[in-house]
Amino acid sequence: MKQINRATVAAAISSFVLAVPAQAFAEESSNKAEILIPKMAEFIPALIAFLIIWVVLAKFAWPQILSMMDERGKRIQESLDEAETTKKKAIASRKEYDELVTDARRKSADIVLEARKDAEAERARIIEAAHKEAEDIIAKAHANAEDERNAIYAAAAASIADLSVSVASKIVGETLDQDGEQRRLIERYVKEAGSLNA
Amino acid sequence: MDAFAKLPDAIAELVAEFSSTPVVGNLNVGLTQYSLWLLIAGVVLLAVIFAFVKKQSLAPKGFFVNGVEWVIEYVEDDIAKGVVGSNWRQHFPFLATLFFFILINNFIGLVPGMKPGTGAIGCTAAVALVSFIYFLYFGVKKHGLFGYLKSLAPAGVSFPMNIFVWVIEVFSLLLRLVTLAVRLFCNMFAGHIVMGSFAIMASIFAQPLLAHFSAMNAVGALPSVAWVLILLIIYAVELIVAFVQAYVFTVLSAVYIQIAEADAH
Repeated sequence: MKQINRATVAAAISSFVLAVPAQAFAEESSNKAEILIPKMAEFIPALIAFLIIWVVLAKFAWPQILSMMDERGKRIQESLDEAETTKKKAIASRKEYDELVTDARRKSADIVLEARKDAEAERARIIEAAHKEAEDIIAKAHANAEDERNAIYAAAAASIADLSVSVASKIVGETLDQDGEQRRLIERYVKEAGSLNA
Repeated sequence: MDAFAKLPDAIAELVAEFSSTPVVGNLNVGLTQYSLWLLIAGVVLLAVIFAFVKKQSLAPKGFFVNGVEWVIEYVEDDIAKGVVGSNWRQHFPFLATLFFFILINNFIGLVPGMKPGTGAIGCTAAVALVSFIYFLYFGVKKHGLFGYLKSLAPAGVSFPMNIFVWVIEVFSLLLRLVTLAVRLFCNMFAGHIVMGSFAIMASIFAQPLLAHFSAMNAVGALPSVAWVLILLIIYAVELIVAFVQAYVFTVLSAVYIQIAEADAH
């Protein structure tokens, strides 16, 4: 089947290549030259049609098309130029902004440092004042306590002297001279005893 | 094989069908099938270009606008700017019209049942004549009639050789008209004859099978598949040829304009 098919194709091709063109051209040989001679029914309409189309397009189409394409090219160029300018401006602004930020950061750091320094000084001052006040309070408390103790001792000494005189009077059976020598002795003794205890 | 016996007649019929026949009037005054399709192609061209002008914008959108613009830019950059040079703007309308006119005509001819306007020598000769007169006009405009005629002979050739060279150059100049017309016509004509031949072969080989189904007829119809495949390949090639021929015609016209306007050879 395949062989028959191949043979058919080969025969068809060879027949077409060899026989057909030869026969076709042989039949056409009489009007071979005629094909290459322009017919007026084709030449004139083609000439007029082409000239009309040329004039119409040259007047109403090509200038508009070209101007639109030129306009586009111009716009693209302008946009590119603008983009370039904007980019340069943006870079300059960025630089300026960076400088501003750096400056602001530096200033804020200075301010913080200054504030810290002030706060430190204030803290030291407050602490010192507090220490001083505390010391004063303590000193005053000490002084008060001393006074209080002295007063207590004095009161106690007087009481002890009175008690001693009264006890002694009861023992001896007579009243000792309250403003006399005994009383002074007792008071001196109590005082000495108090100073020993203190 | 019956099919082979039928082929010569069918091909002869096909070729006869390709010769100009009047649709209106006669071959001297009227319209042939080629000039009719040429006029239709002209209307299509105007419709396409004006639709494009209407839709063209600074930011082109869509396949149609971008596609047409791509072709226009191709003509502008590759032919007008690339060949003509600095004064391309002056010649762009002519070159662009020429390119699109031929291109649309070639493409119209590839639609089954339609004919290319460029498939008749009368039509290609008309376009070639316009191109010929156009570059002659600009040559004469640039150098003056005498200057242009003188510029045809290359400078630096001594007498009497320069006269011979001048005669040869004039002859070659006149031949440009013929070559422009014949090149385009022959390419279109030959392409369509080849496509038509393969289409006929495909149908002739398949005919017995369509008339009566049998194993023998099926085997006999097998070459039709090959013919259809070849036809499709040739059709694809013809699509490229349609573009290439429009390009060649336009670029040669641009070269002739450039040569005509050049300061010295």
